[in-house]
Amino acid sequence: MRLLTVSLLLLLPAGAACAEGPPSVVSARILLATHAVHPGTTVRIAVVAHIDSGYHINDHKPSLDYLIPTNVVFEDSSSLKVEKVSYPRGKLTKFVFLDSPISVYEGEIRLGAALKVSPSLKTGAYPLRGKLTYQACNDHACLPPTSVPLEGLVHVATSPALLHPADSAVSKEKQF
Amino acid sequence: MKKSKVLLGIILGIVVAVGLYFVNEYWIAPATTSAAKSSGEFPQAPDFALTSLSGNKINLQDYKGKVVLLDFWATWCGPCRIEIPGFVELQRKYGNQGFAIIGVSMDDGPQPVRQFYDTFHMNYPVVMGSDKLGELYGGILGLPTSFLVGRDGRIYAKHVGLTDVSVFESEIKELLSAPPGHKVSDFKSVGYTASQDIQTSTPEEVNSVVPGVDLSKLSPAEVKEFENVLAKGKCTCGCGFTVLKCRQVDSSCQVSLEQARTAYTKYLKAHHG
Repeated sequence: MRLLTVSLLLLLPAGAACAEGPPSVVSARILLATHAVHPGTTVRIAVVAHIDSGYHINDHKPSLDYLIPTNVVFEDSSSLKVEKVSYPRGKLTKFVFLDSPISVYEGEIRLGAALKVSPSLKTGAYPLRGKLTYQACNDHACLPPTSVPLEGLVHVATSPALLHPADSAVSKEKQF
Repeated sequence: MKKSKVLLGIILGIVVAVGLYFVNEYWIAPATTSAAKSSGEFPQAPDFALTSLSGNKINLQDYKGKVVLLDFWATWCGPCRIEIPGFVELQRKYGNQGFAIIGVSMDDGPQPVRQFYDTFHMNYPVVMGSDKLGELYGGILGLPTSFLVGRDGRIYAKHVGLTDVSVFESEIKELLSAPPGHKVSDFKSVGYTASQDIQTSTPEEVNSVVPGVDLSKLSPAEVKEFENVLAKGKCTCGCGFTVLKCRQVDSSCQVSLEQARTAYTKYLKAHHG
């Protein structure tokens, strides 16, 4: 039986100098638990987002109803499907413009998800695209809501290759 | 002995360098700001006509002779929200002295704004803003961004980010003291202001096919030809786009703006003398 393997996604951080919309203070990439996957299996992936120092973005479940939540969405694809995106808990932080602390993300955050690989996947390169939407503020001003693209290419090979761990942290994390 | 003299020299050098840094940061910089302001180059506030949430026509021209606080804000912006009660109080206190506030909401739709308007008992008109309106005022990248317009229609102060209401109040009082239509040539801002950075655009620049470049002197055929010139030039900001594309996707990019304006000056000289 011929096994197809899918190579690691190397995903590009966003943030070209001339980009549509407000300045980007978040960069994001995707990590795969193993460097390859077999068709018909499910592997864990992580979206690692880096938030520029001094800025915060809102929790996926914001503390206040008017705050815009952080979200990750992936484009529908018949060959690769991302499910069960799990978000980390934010950090309760007090800001001068609010009476009580709110839950926000700062620094580096990791979101987990399951990547389902279609059993009918054939040799080739398969794109995985999505975006992380967020609304950032610092302690005295806010930037308009925007998003950072998540882009990668999945290379499929026809060999019974062993699955090498690509990012041990992703595979160890059962719950993100 | 010689070594200790060298060491002393190094220490003195560091002390002088640190001292110069702080002098530059806290003394020279404000002096430069004052000089820019006292030159009287406060730009005219770009005019706009929009409908308020309550359905009234808001035309900035109708406010000539008044001191106007133009506040770009959004309901999802915490620092913006906390400023509003202070603005309500300023409107109540100085509204009968020739002062008016216009709120410009940068929310996607009016629904949350209406709700907020009622909850916070806002006593001044709020219009729904747009990127185009923001571009007229030099591009609104962070919220809140507030502009203080004098009785003569000039922008005297621009405050980006949460600003204490006392700062606005001092500046409003100073601007109100000027007779209608008079320039406040010795306007003194309170606290941090970005007055020296106030940049405005004309509607011709904002609505141009090459945002930021007024092409109204060109014929339609020349506009097409000029677009082709920019479509062949590479933007040097690092975006990987042509100059034309970079202008169109990011009108705030100063690199492509400079390139486009330089190319326009050259084109105009070649075709119109």
